Amino acid sequence: MEIAELQNKIYAFCEAAKGKKKLKEKDIIKGVSEAEGVPGDEVKKAMRLMIDVGKLMYSYGGGASSVEIPSEEYLREKGLIK
Amino acid sequence: MAGKKYNTPLIDDLEKGPWPSFVTEMKKAAKKSEMSNDALGHLEKCYATKKGYWKHGGIVGVLGYGGGVIGRYSELGDEFPGVAHFHTVRINQPSAFFYTGKALKEICDIWDKYGSGLTNVHGSTGDLVLLGTKTEHLENIFAEYSSRGWDLGGSGSALRTPSCCVGPARCEWSNYDTLDLTYNLTQEFQDELHRPSFSYKFKIKSSGCACDCVAALARADLSIIGTWKGDIKIDQAEVKNYAKTMDIKAEIVDMCPTQCISYDGKEMKINNKECSRCMHCITKMTKALRPSGERGATLCMGSKAPIVVGSLLSWVIVPFIKLEAPYTELKDLLRKIWDWWDENGKPRERIGEVIEIKGMRSFLEAIGVAPQPQQVKEPRKDPFMFYTDEDMAGFKAKEAEEKKTGKYKF
Repeated sequence: MEIAELQNKIYAFCEAAKGKKKLKEKDIIKGVSEAEGVPGDEVKKAMRLMIDVGKLMYSYGGGASSVEIPSEEYLREKGLIK
Repeated sequence: MAGKKYNTPLIDDLEKGPWPSFVTEMKKAAKKSEMSNDALGHLEKCYATKKGYWKHGGIVGVLGYGGGVIGRYSELGDEFPGVAHFHTVRINQPSAFFYTGKALKEICDIWDKYGSGLTNVHGSTGDLVLLGTKTEHLENIFAEYSSRGWDLGGSGSALRTPSCCVGPARCEWSNYDTLDLTYNLTQEFQDELHRPSFSYKFKIKSSGCACDCVAALARADLSIIGTWKGDIKIDQAEVKNYAKTMDIKAEIVDMCPTQCISYDGKEMKINNKECSRCMHCITKMTKALRPSGERGATLCMGSKAPIVVGSLLSWVIVPFIKLEAPYTELKDLLRKIWDWWDENGKPRERIGEVIEIKGMRSFLEAIGVAPQPQQVKEPRKDPFMFYTDEDMAGFKAKEAEEKKTGKYKF
């Protein structure tokens, strides 16, 4: 699978969980890997590229971290949107 | 520079007494920083109303990193605008906290530029903690520190910045190079440190001996405690010297936790087979006693403060491991430990809690460590004997044979 297509799948996976479940990195790796039949390492690499450019972001609450779709506030603060 | 002057009778009380006071330091910072000034007024209000007004967490951080910045906001942002955002930044400390004056000045100059100027050197995790900045400064702070060779520390569900005692840099009792190990593990596990992927936090602390100057045994998920395999060498002439000023029976013999020392007024003897390498006698009689033989460490797992369940102390899993660069055995073991924790832990469960729930037996089996007597934490506990299906089939066959021949006794 092309990396862009895989990243779309990852984004969709995160979007489906939005507001329902806080996803750990490994939830995404495991979930997308199983659903798409792609090795976990490839999902991890694709996901981290998304985090590096702000398509996904790390969040933190109650001592635990998760990965989610960035808010507009976050994107604005990072200068990724105006 | 500071605007409003706050009346702070309650926190002024904390300046009294013989010890240095953080309030005094905050007042100094308040003279040149509005954030520190508001932090002072905010603290007084917390004391007066007996309420905390801090909110914690959220989405602050630097791009690509999941840790190193802890978002803090005050509910009283209108009253104390300087602390409306008051985020904490963790800087990865050098092994055993060795700094040059130049390095410290560099850290503080950057912090004065973007933050409150308040620091916590060091936080209990080990990082150099910078207290109080605004969201819009975070990327600049990170850019300035990283351009000078500094990096952020760990926070959230990640590997926290490994920390260690002063080790062989200044201590003759260190059984391995704690500084090198800490540096090496920090470099090896950059991904685990900056990109949170665990169920919860994971701390590694390394002490060169059982004196445990970083309190690893009480507060690290992996406590690496230096130890040795040989006998304790005794200089009887020095023992005689100590006897002139010390009650050896009361201070050494009677305080030995395994009662392996004897002293008849002339000669000291140690039954080394019973010695638990606790360091008590050695630290009391430094000139007379000395470890010998092979050096390394004991690996203990699972200590934590009380959050989900009560506090735990670390538990021996590997009684002795040689610790020499590149530390391959330890790193491989750590990866197996994290895999097991990932499979079995729920969110916010520390590894010590998961071991308590799932059992040491299943943990040891998963990480490939053989059960050993040193792992028995207290009497009358499961000794972690593993019976495989093959073992059970063998027992049953033997039992059937004995029943047939009349030798069977229940």
